[in-house]
Amino acid sequence: MRRTNIVALVVFLIAVGIILALNPRNTIKVQSAFLGMISPFFRTGSSLQVRISTYRTALKSLGQLEQDNKILVTQNRELKTINQTLRDLEQENNRLRRAIGYEERSVFQLIPARIIARDSGSWWNTVKIDRGFDDGIDPDMPVLTEDGLVGKTTTVSKNVSTVLLIADENCKVAASVEGTREQGIVRGERTSTTSMPEISLNFLSKTADLKAGQKVYTSGVGGVYPSGVAIGVVKDFKVRELDGKATLIPSVDLTTLQDVFIVVGKK
Amino acid sequence: MIFFAILVAGLFSSLVVQEFIPPLAWLFGARVLIMPVIMFYGALALPSWGMLATAFISGFMWDALTVQPLESSVEISLGWSILLYAALGAIMSGFRPLFQRGRWEIHCLFSGLFTSVIVLAEYLMITIRRGGLIFPNEIWWKIGGAGIVAALLAPIFYFSLNWIASLVGYEINPEEKGIN
Repeated sequence: MRRTNIVALVVFLIAVGIILALNPRNTIKVQSAFLGMISPFFRTGSSLQVRISTYRTALKSLGQLEQDNKILVTQNRELKTINQTLRDLEQENNRLRRAIGYEERSVFQLIPARIIARDSGSWWNTVKIDRGFDDGIDPDMPVLTEDGLVGKTTTVSKNVSTVLLIADENCKVAASVEGTREQGIVRGERTSTTSMPEISLNFLSKTADLKAGQKVYTSGVGGVYPSGVAIGVVKDFKVRELDGKATLIPSVDLTTLQDVFIVVGKK
Repeated sequence: MIFFAILVAGLFSSLVVQEFIPPLAWLFGARVLIMPVIMFYGALALPSWGMLATAFISGFMWDALTVQPLESSVEISLGWSILLYAALGAIMSGFRPLFQRGRWEIHCLFSGLFTSVIVLAEYLMITIRRGGLIFPNEIWWKIGGAGIVAALLAPIFYFSLNWIASLVGYEINPEEKGIN
């Protein structure tokens, strides 16, 4: 073994040893610092992604236009492209209007945020949002939309934060079922039989007679999530050896989520 | 040193890019993982210290981005991926003689296989931590799918990085030339 390799191996092992020995508090600090460092790239990547998708949509319209009318190709191309761009803007405008409306109606003090990246890990369900401690965000703050609960913040950096989605197995939310006295814990499933993430309501009584379509809300127990926020609707109910378990359809489509709100307090 | 810096930039860029690639719904949500492919290329193209450095950088960045903080602890210790990447990188380094002779077909397949090993190791880690050792078909598709995608992507990255290496005048034979 060459001397440089031995030195490299020793340095490597010392560095790994130091990192492995970090306590959870310092680990979170390191994560926060790294997230802060990488955040400009996420922000740039996110805006680039939006531009590319808008461009692709416009190109698709052009293709259709060519088939529809071969005579007025040039003129139609221009008009269709402009039209498509305006439609995109209109859709975005409507979405933002709805979001602002919800912000005004809500009893919570909310900070709007945009999802800029999704976790590339295979086993974790998290997203990155464009808000951080500069905007008043702290770890363990509930994140929601006008449709229901999304998750909670975990690692927070200067202007980017990680949100642990309710579809993650580590995200546990105390919940109650509409029209019953049943209470349980909602958490994500480790595996999903579909491309959509699945969540379940656990520790229900075995006699709970839940029907498909019943709504599930946060119960407020635990202090992280406010009560009365929609989580999902019951898909099916199964009795296990010790308790009952209901599979839920999340109220929020977590796969197409774009804008969220962070609850920073009550109005 | 220039080529090493390019590889490090490649690792960083791939980490950011793969965050924007959605999971493959037709492969039970398998992810497109580019960073391990570049890391394994580094293990082949760089001398031992370079392999350790790329494993360290990749593992550290991956953990810093994915490790989940729980209430008063973290689910998996920051740094475990470094050891995993280094172990797999060391195995990959064993195939260097063939790689130095200009053959990299088998290495591309191993990039895919080792990517699956990484995903499997992650699953085992969280399974041990959370309890309930469950292995439905979807899990295997997710693990295997990430590897298949990595193996399919590897030739593109190996070819591109070989081209970049020749462009910057880096010769993939440290015994004779050392690193540029």
